[in-house]
Amino acid sequence: MIENLILFQIIVSLFLGGAILGLISRNGRFSRPLIFIPSMMGAILTILFSVTVITTKSMSWEVPHVIPFFNLEIFVDGISAFFMLLIGIVSFAVSLYSMGYSKEYEIKKRISIFGFLFNIFILSMILVVGSNNGFFFLMFWELMSLTSFFLVIYDHDKEENVKSGMTYLVMTHFGTALIFVSFLLGYLQTGSFGFDSLRTSSSSFPHLIKDLMFVSAFIGFGTKAGIVPLHTWLPKAHPSAPSNVSALMSAVMIKMGIYGIIRTVFDFAGFGASPDYAWWGVLMVIAGSASALIGILYAVVERDIKRALAFSSIENIGIILIGLGLSVIFASYNLHTLSILALVASMYHTINHAFFKGLLFMGAGSVVHATHTKDIEKLGGLVKQMPWTSMLFLIGAISIAGLPPFNGFVSEWLGLQAILSSSQIPSTILQISIAFASLPFALTIGLAAATFVRLFSMIFLSKTRGTSLLHIREVPRNMIAGMAILASVCILFGIVPFLGISLLSTVFHLSSSPSSPYDAIALKNNDMTSFANLSMPVVAIMLSAVALGIFGFIRVVGGKTTKTIYGTWDCGFGKLNERMEYTATSISQPIRVVFKSLFKPHNETHKEFSIPENSYLVKTIKFNSTTKNIFEENLYTPIISSTLFLLDKVRKIQTGKINSYLLYIMITIILLLIFVRFNHA
Amino acid sequence: MPSFLEITLGIIQALMLMALSPLMTGIMRKTKAKTQKRMGAGIFQPYYDMVKLMRKDEVVSDQSSWIFRSTPWVNFAAIGTAAFFIPVFLSYSPFGLVGDLLLVVGLFGLARFFTMLAGLDTSSAFGGIGSSREMMVSTLLEPALFLAIFVVALTYGGTNLSTLVEGASNSSLLPHPQLIFAAIAMFVVILGETGRLPFGNHATHLELTMMHEAMVLEYSGKSLALIDWAQSIKQVILFSLIVNIFTPWGIASSVSAISLGLGLVIFIVKISVFAIFVAFLESSIAKWRLFRIPDLITVAIASSLVGLVLYYL
Repeated sequence: MIENLILFQIIVSLFLGGAILGLISRNGRFSRPLIFIPSMMGAILTILFSVTVITTKSMSWEVPHVIPFFNLEIFVDGISAFFMLLIGIVSFAVSLYSMGYSKEYEIKKRISIFGFLFNIFILSMILVVGSNNGFFFLMFWELMSLTSFFLVIYDHDKEENVKSGMTYLVMTHFGTALIFVSFLLGYLQTGSFGFDSLRTSSSSFPHLIKDLMFVSAFIGFGTKAGIVPLHTWLPKAHPSAPSNVSALMSAVMIKMGIYGIIRTVFDFAGFGASPDYAWWGVLMVIAGSASALIGILYAVVERDIKRALAFSSIENIGIILIGLGLSVIFASYNLHTLSILALVASMYHTINHAFFKGLLFMGAGSVVHATHTKDIEKLGGLVKQMPWTSMLFLIGAISIAGLPPFNGFVSEWLGLQAILSSSQIPSTILQISIAFASLPFALTIGLAAATFVRLFSMIFLSKTRGTSLLHIREVPRNMIAGMAILASVCILFGIVPFLGISLLSTVFHLSSSPSSPYDAIALKNNDMTSFANLSMPVVAIMLSAVALGIFGFIRVVGGKTTKTIYGTWDCGFGKLNERMEYTATSISQPIRVVFKSLFKPHNETHKEFSIPENSYLVKTIKFNSTTKNIFEENLYTPIISSTLFLLDKVRKIQTGKINSYLLYIMITIILLLIFVRFNHA
Repeated sequence: MPSFLEITLGIIQALMLMALSPLMTGIMRKTKAKTQKRMGAGIFQPYYDMVKLMRKDEVVSDQSSWIFRSTPWVNFAAIGTAAFFIPVFLSYSPFGLVGDLLLVVGLFGLARFFTMLAGLDTSSAFGGIGSSREMMVSTLLEPALFLAIFVVALTYGGTNLSTLVEGASNSSLLPHPQLIFAAIAMFVVILGETGRLPFGNHATHLELTMMHEAMVLEYSGKSLALIDWAQSIKQVILFSLIVNIFTPWGIASSVSAISLGLGLVIFIVKISVFAIFVAFLESSIAKWRLFRIPDLITVAIASSLVGLVLYYL
């Protein structure tokens, strides 16, 4: 107990130390180790701390009256520790990676500020999941948002980055405001910002208050998580931030939104096992399906690596939310076992997404580091120059595409099983609607595979499409090591799902935990016949056995043959060049056409003829294809322009003359006096 | 734990599937030849082709990387593993404890993922065509397949293939109307997954009609043998799924020599009849324009949805 507390204090001081050392070191020779070694140590201790909390018991720490009237309350239970574990693992890998990645920032002379923000950012996330008081929760939440905002605009030489930073800032404060509303509603009921009082008395709140608390928290936290249509900041902020920061933001920070939703639903908003609450789950499933499908549809046509990954984060948050929503629906109909299944599916995907998205963002960072371009139309052929990065990126790509035997498959399998189990809900309308909701879910899984085939092949395979490969080298070892850590966890959680599931069952106090790593995940019907089984270790063994078997068979039947290296078949027309290759735009063309109602593609062809009268001899031909972002155009632009219009009207009372301001003050005082008078009477 | 005998039978089932698969390809080619008033090669020709290819030297593109070289092996490993989960002549596969229908779909996905990468690895525009089309079609087939699985899983209580096939063989002759709709959807999905007409054409190497062929155009020798074999195993897996789920008559549910033998004979007859039917259908329709294919898949999805609603109402 007491050791835990000391450990926690050491973690806090390590990150603070890293931040201060970063500021002091002033771009010296040792500034990178001074910044990132404390954060690495802090991350390791965070992993250690969360594992001890999960395996032994919760930790609480109270410092009375840090600020008048408010006690700093830290309470780390299983759920908090689970999210801290994710923060710990990802930020360890990212810190290791940053040792190499941030080298280029040394030249720009600003690494000390970067180090300060980086450490404070990680620390603020740890404190967010640890705080047990609404006031401090919001304070740390704000700290997290602000540090990440400054990190997003870290490269502020580019106009574009500052713009995306502003979008992020506005959106995140919109979210914070709604979270504040939710806490305020709780405060009005209990008279305290402490989470403990919410936990004890929330079940007796009026139903309307509970619903309001849930909705405002869902929108508020959903903004951070990036739920459609509140997602617009995500595809802007992630590409603008340095890649190590985008890895942290996408892998862990958006999960803070999920953390908030879980806390609100199961802890604060007084969720009860009655069908009255089923619509909470339905709302989550709808929002989740929309996010998943729309996120991945934009990802599959995106040209910027990091924007594509950001859109895919929206998709994955959607998948997590579908699971969470199903869990809430099942729980509201008192289907306890199924609720656990859906919750495990959702949380397993949370773990997985943290790992593979961290890995993929770091991989994208390595590509940008080596080639200085984010445009996949200009990349290609890197697999020979950067063998390690490409292999690790491929592991991330297969995992996120949800293919066996990697981790993404396990959580998506669980998610699909949770959807299949919806037949046990005693409400025909819900049964049918959830069955229909499986349509976007399955489509999303298919599109995710297409997205990552496209990304991987355009970046790493065949010939380069623009950037010269001559001077491209593999990234430094510590960057590879950072990615390798997350890649190995991806494989581990794919082949041994026992790890993840037993972790989750300890965290969420689930009754049915698997007893040994060799046990299959077994789902049973009511009559005890097997509904579905999955045993990933055996699948991995079978895959390798079949591969070995066929290798032997082919050798025995076919004997020894040789391989000749020769040019790709060119139909006998001579050398193929890179302009004849498929490009990133052409490869996704069929999908753009099929979903044209969403993308509204606009094609322009511009021809120039050798002889103006003769339209057969074309000298040059230009083709331009643009797609629209329907959310920006149809939802945000009207809101922004009407706000500007309103503010323009308001400006009229701001005359700048002191006389009129004095008049305003007098009117206000008179109104206040009248108000007080009548209020007392 | 399943007994030793059961595991052996399970392995024999999988090996049977692998061994039978070129025969089905041969039967289908022969049927198509006959309907087109040609003689056609014998039904064992795919076996000879495969052995011949295995003994040939390979040419590998100088642009390609280790992805291109490893794809045939990954492809075969994934599809070969999937074969272990399929009940063939016995309604029960001991590997049902390891994985289910969704795992089979996932393994096909793994094979397809690598094939698409390999198509793009050689920097040939043909590979690009193939991968790009495959990307679209497979993406759209995914929900159609899942919804068909949804209907079947709800009807028979599970995605575990042993539960499914046992449930099917115990039920009376087509008692569930929703299954007809699921079967329609499944049939369309199978045509798409195996790249048969109207999705693609196996028999040609024309830019207009190629899908799968375009992706694997650069392969030769042992690698091509592996890819072809894996493709025909996949086809037989899908055929046996539809045959055993929707027409489960005659499958052996107990381990005895007579019922096993009978089950095997009936299985081969059923699957050959199905293969001949598909080949016949292929001869009688033309290739569809690529962007009309989504319409067909939409029909499959709608059909499954009707099945779902019928199940719940």
